[in-house]
Amino acid sequence: MQRKMFYYLGITVLLISMILSACAQPAAPTQAPAPVATEAPTVPPPPPPTEAPAPVATEAPTEPPAAPAWEGKYNLSAPDCSYGGEFKAIEAVDQYTVKFTLCNPDPAFLQKVAFPAFGIQSAAYLEKTGGGGDLLSAPIGSGPFMVKEWVRGDHLTLAPNPNYWGEQPKNKEFIMRWNAEAAARLLEIQAGTADAIDNPGPDDLANIQADPNLKLLARPGNNVFYLGMNDTIPPFDNEKVRQAVAMAIDKQRIVDNYYPAGSVVADQFVPSFMVPGYVDGYKWYDYDPAAAKALLAEAGFPDGFEVTLSYRDVVRVYLPYPGKVAQELQSQLAQVGIKVKIVVKESGEMLQSVAAGKEPLFMMGWGADYPDPTNFYDFHFTGASKNFGEPFPDLMEAIRAAAYNADPAQRTLLYGKVAELVKQHVPMVPVAHGTNFIVYKATVENPEASPLADEMFNLMSVPGQDQFIWIQNGEPISLYCSDETDGETFRACYHIFDHLYWYKPGTTDLQPAAAESYTVNKELTEWTFTLRQNNKFSDGTAMDANDVVQTFVVQWDASHPLHVGNTGVFEYFAGYFAAFLNAPK
Amino acid sequence: MNTCNNEQQMESENEIANIGPTQAPSNLWMDALHHLLEKRSAVVGLILLGTLAIVALLAPVLATHDPIEILRDAKRNTPPCIHFLGCPETQSQHYFGIDGNSRDFFSRVLYGARLSLLIGIVTITGSIILGTMLGAISGYAGGWSDNLIMRIMDVLLAFPYLLLAIAVVAVLGPGLRNALLAIAIVEIPAFARIARSSVLSIKEMDFVTADRALGVSPARILFRRILPNAMTPLIVAGTLGIGTVILSVAALSFLGLGAQPPTPEWGIMLAEERNNIFNAPHLLFIPGIAITITVLGFNLFGDGLRDALDPRLNR
Amino acid sequence: MLSFLVRRLILLIPVLLGILIITFALARLIPGDPCTIALGEHATQEACHLYLERMGLNDPLPTQFLRYLTSLAHGDLGNSIRTNQTISSIVLLRLPMTLELAFCAMLFATVVGIPLGIIAALRRNSSADVLTMMGANVGVSMPVFFLGLLLAYLFAIVLKGTPFWLPPSARLTAGLSTVPLVQTFHLENLQGLPLALVTFLSNMVTFNALVSGNWKVEVDAWRHLILPAITVGTIPLAIIARMTRSSLLDVLGLDYIRTARAKGLKERLVVFRHAFRNALLPIITIVGLQLGGLLGGAILTETIFGLPGMGTIMVQSIYARDYPVLQAAVVLIALIFVIVNLIVDISYGYLDPRIRLQ
Repeated sequence: MQRKMFYYLGITVLLISMILSACAQPAAPTQAPAPVATEAPTVPPPPPPTEAPAPVATEAPTEPPAAPAWEGKYNLSAPDCSYGGEFKAIEAVDQYTVKFTLCNPDPAFLQKVAFPAFGIQSAAYLEKTGGGGDLLSAPIGSGPFMVKEWVRGDHLTLAPNPNYWGEQPKNKEFIMRWNAEAAARLLEIQAGTADAIDNPGPDDLANIQADPNLKLLARPGNNVFYLGMNDTIPPFDNEKVRQAVAMAIDKQRIVDNYYPAGSVVADQFVPSFMVPGYVDGYKWYDYDPAAAKALLAEAGFPDGFEVTLSYRDVVRVYLPYPGKVAQELQSQLAQVGIKVKIVVKESGEMLQSVAAGKEPLFMMGWGADYPDPTNFYDFHFTGASKNFGEPFPDLMEAIRAAAYNADPAQRTLLYGKVAELVKQHVPMVPVAHGTNFIVYKATVENPEASPLADEMFNLMSVPGQDQFIWIQNGEPISLYCSDETDGETFRACYHIFDHLYWYKPGTTDLQPAAAESYTVNKELTEWTFTLRQNNKFSDGTAMDANDVVQTFVVQWDASHPLHVGNTGVFEYFAGYFAAFLNAPK
Repeated sequence: MNTCNNEQQMESENEIANIGPTQAPSNLWMDALHHLLEKRSAVVGLILLGTLAIVALLAPVLATHDPIEILRDAKRNTPPCIHFLGCPETQSQHYFGIDGNSRDFFSRVLYGARLSLLIGIVTITGSIILGTMLGAISGYAGGWSDNLIMRIMDVLLAFPYLLLAIAVVAVLGPGLRNALLAIAIVEIPAFARIARSSVLSIKEMDFVTADRALGVSPARILFRRILPNAMTPLIVAGTLGIGTVILSVAALSFLGLGAQPPTPEWGIMLAEERNNIFNAPHLLFIPGIAITITVLGFNLFGDGLRDALDPRLNR
Repeated sequence: MLSFLVRRLILLIPVLLGILIITFALARLIPGDPCTIALGEHATQEACHLYLERMGLNDPLPTQFLRYLTSLAHGDLGNSIRTNQTISSIVLLRLPMTLELAFCAMLFATVVGIPLGIIAALRRNSSADVLTMMGANVGVSMPVFFLGLLLAYLFAIVLKGTPFWLPPSARLTAGLSTVPLVQTFHLENLQGLPLALVTFLSNMVTFNALVSGNWKVEVDAWRHLILPAITVGTIPLAIIARMTRSSLLDVLGLDYIRTARAKGLKERLVVFRHAFRNALLPIITIVGLQLGGLLGGAILTETIFGLPGMGTIMVQSIYARDYPVLQAAVVLIALIFVIVNLIVDISYGYLDPRIRLQ
C-alpha cells in the first residue's frame, strides 16, 4: 500500500517535472535587454608613467603617454526646470567630485541622498545587467557586506566584503530570515535560534523585559497614525464637522490601551524629533465630546450622522492593532452622535480607494523615510496625494514656503504656521506616534535601535559565534533598492551598498560614507560631494564619480535604456525629486 | 463473537427485506432513532449538540455582558476570574476573562455559539438545495445536460477547497455573508454528486417506471418519488457537512476574509488573538476548543445517523 | 479499460480549460492592483498608471486572457510581477517543499492511521476501539490552524529545554543549508529537462541531504517537518483510521472469513492474509483522494509554520495581486489534484476485477 503511494507520488513528480521542463526557461532570466554599450565603461586606471628607457641619452625625452583624460561620461543636464522635477544637472566635475544642481532650494537634500534607495551602483555592472535582471538578485556594492547566498523564501546570507573601505564586519556571516507572525519570531529568539528579531507583539513586551536572556530596545516613533477625512465628500466638506471630529477623539485612551509603552499621543502631524518642523508647545483641540456635539449642531447635525470608517487589517508600526482601534474609534464617535459603520477593506483595495480619494473617513498612517518634515507634509497636503480630497491653498503655500527655505530659524517659524493651518482645516486628526521595538539576545555586543530602523548589523556580534541571525517581518523583494519601497528590502540593501552620506548608528545624524565631505551654496541649490578615494566595489573595481552620476541618472532619465529596475516605478526618486526627465506622457 | 455476528446478521437481513421504498417512512425513522440511541458515540454527539443548541438559544439570558460592548474600565487580556474558584471579590467576575478589545469573553463565546449554528445550518441548507437541484436534473435528464453539469462540478472540485473560497471572498469582499456564499458554492459539488447517484439508482426502479408509464410528469416523479428516497444520504452528508462548513468559515475568518469585527465569531476570535499565545493563552484555547466540540458534536451525530439509517451496515 | 482511460483523458481538457478561465477571472476580479500594494501608503494614481501600462494590466480582460493563453501555448509561464523571477523557477523552488510536506503528512497518516484502524476493528467495542474512534473524531473536528498553534505551543514553549523540543518554524535551522545537487555531483553540463529534474530533486531538502550524505542537515530537516506533518496529516489520519476500521469490519463479516475461521486458520492469517487485502481497496481510494486534499490543507499549515512552499506563495500572491504567480500556482495545484483523482480512478478499476469486468 505504501508502495502504491510512492508510485502515485513518483508519477506525479515525473509528470510535473516533464510539464515544467517543457516550460523551463534557461537558467538566467531573459528579462534584461541585450547590453548596449560597446566600449568598456570603466576607465582603465591610468597606466603608470612610463620610465624613460634606460639608455635614453640620444632620444629627446618623450613625454610619457598622457594618461587617458578621465571624463565624466554620464553627466546629464535638463534643458530647463519646466519639466517639473528637482534636478537641473548631475555632473562628475572630476574623478572624485560630483555636483548636483537643483531647480529649487532643498534643505533636506543630504537626508534624501542618505536613503537606501540611493545606494551607489557600479556603472559597469548597471551596463552589464541592463539595469535589471541580475542587478536584482546578485548585486555588486561597496558596503560592508556582500551577498553570499539567497535562497528565496527561506534566508539571505551576507558575508563580509573584503574590499570595504571601513571596518570589517564583526561577524563572519549575517543571515536574514523572516516570519510574518510576531509570536513565531519571539519563539525563535527565546529558543535561541535567532540573535535578534524585529517588531515583537506589543502584548509580549512585559514577558520580554522579564526575561534575563533578552534585551528590549525601543525605536522612538517616527511615524504618525491619523484619522483621515476627505473634504470633497459630505459631511466632511464642512470644516466645522471636521473640527468637531477632532474634539471627539480621546487620543490618550487609544494610546494607553492599544499602543506599546513609549508611544505618544500625536498633537501634530510630525513627531517630536523632526526638527525644524515640530512645534514645541503646540496644542491640538482638547478632548471635549460636549463641545464636539455643540459644534456638530452648529454645523447642522444636531443628531449626528452616519458614515463609514474604512481601514485595512494590516499591522503597521504606527498601528499595531487596527481592528481594535477601529472599534474604539467607533465607540468614541458614537458618544457625539456619529454612527460609524466599520468597513474592513482588503489591503490593496483600501490603498487604491484612499489614493483615489474615495474614502470619506479612513484610518491610515505614515512612516518617516528621512528625518525632515518635508517627508511628511509635502506628500500629504500639497496635492500629490488625493487622500484628503482637495488641498487647501493656504496650507499648500505655507508648506512650500517652509520647504524651500534655507534658514533653520525661519523654517521653524514657517512650520509653526503650517501646524496652525492644519489645526484650522483639519484634513485629518493625528492620533498617535507608535513606538516599535527590537529584541536582542542579551549576549549581543553593540545592540542598536535606530529611529529610522537602519540598524547596522555589521557592528554587532555574539561572542563565541561566527554568525548573526536576524528575523524580520518579510522577505526582501529584490536587491536593487532604487526600485523598491519597503523597509524589509532596504535593510538588506544598506548593508550591501554605500551611500554618499549615512547615519551614525542609532541616530538621525549624518556622517560621511562614500563621500568624504560636501559643500553647498547659500541657496541650497548646488550640492558638491567629494568622494572617498580608493573605494572599491566587492568585485574589485574602483568607485569614482561616474558611478555616482550613473546611479542617479538611470533613475532620473525615464528614457534611459538602463531605466529598468524591477517594476520600473522608481517610486522614491519620483517621490523625493518630483519628476523624471523625459517622462512619457 | 461468532454467535453475535449470526444474530446481528439475521437481524440485518430482516431489515433489508423489510426496508424498501414501499415501507411507510415513519417506521424507518423510528428504527433509525432506536439504533441511534443504542450507539454511545451518537448519544454523546446528541448531547453535545443539545448543549450547543440550548446555549445558543439562551445566549441573551446566559451572557453576563453585551458581546460587542467595550468595557471602559476593564483591563485588556485579563485572565478568567471566577469568584467561586478563588478569584478575589475585589476583581469583577468574568468567567472567561477579558479579550484584547476590553470585552467580556464569556459573552462573546456564547454568542459565537449562536453564530456558528446559524452559519452551519444556513450554508448547508443552501448547498443542499442548490446541489440537489443540479444533481437531480443531471441524473434524471441525462444526456448533454448531465455531462455539462458534471463537468462544471468537476472544475469546482478541482480547486483546493480553501483556495476557491479565498478567491471568491477576495472578489466579493470580506464579510460574513460573502464568506457563507463562497463556502456554499464550494460545497455544492459534493451534494450534487450524491443527489445524482441516488437519482440514477432509483430512476430504474419499478415504481418509477410504473409512474412514467402512467404519464406522471417528470417534476412530480422527481419530487414525490425520487427525492424522498434520496433524502437519507443527503441528510447524513449534510450533517457531516455542517462541521466542515463551520471549520471553513473559521479558517476564512482566521485569514481575515470572513466575519468582521466586532462580530463575535470563534474563528475571528482566534485570528485576533493569535499572537497572544504567550501572554493570554486563554483567549486562544477557549474558542479553539469551542469549535472542536461543536464540530465533534455534528460529526458524532452524523456518523450515528449514517449508521442508523444505512440498512446494509453490520450492527 | 482503454476506452475508459481515453474517455477520461479527453474529458480532462475541458476541465483544465475551465480551471484556467475561472482562475484568470477570479484573479483579475480581485480589487486592487500590484502597484498599489507594493507602494502602500506612498501610492498615488500617477505612479501606478505608468506601471500598470507597462505590465499590460490596463488592457481589456479578454485581450489579457488571450495573451496569457498564447504564452502558455509557447510554454512560457511568465514572470512574477513582484519579484521578476520566472515562474518556472519559483515553482521549481517551492513545489518540492509542498510535496515533501504532503508526503510526510501522508506517511504519518497511513503509518499511524491504518494500524489504529486495524486495532479498532479487531478489538471492536472495547476501550481501545472507543478511544481510537473518539480520538479520530476529535482530530477531524479540530481546526487545522488551531492544531498547528497548539502543537507549536506544546513542543516549542512548554517542552523547551527537554529532548522533546521541536522547532516551531522554518525549513532548517538558520545557518544550515544544502548544496545544490548540480554542484555536489558535478552535473554542470545538464540542460533542459534533466536540469529541471535535478533542480527539482535538489530542492527537496530531505532528498538532497540524503544523497549528499549530509546527516546533520538531514536530521534537522526531518525535525522541522514533524510538527507541520502532524498538523496537516491529522485529518487524513482520522479519516483513514475510520475507513480502515469500517472496511475491515465489513470484510470480516463476510462468509468466506467465516469459512477460513471454520477451517481452523490462525486468527492472524485470517485477518492479514484474507481479510485485510480485500479491505484494502476502499482504503487505497481514500488515501489517494486525501492526497489531493492535503495540498489545500498545506496552505494554512505552511503559513503558520513559515515553510517556503506553494501554499505560502499562493497566499502571498493573492495579497500582492501577483497574477501570474497566482494563476500558475492554482492551475498547477488543480492539475495535480485532477491527475491524482484520475490515477485513483484508474487504479480503482485496475485493482477491483469486478469493476474492470463491468
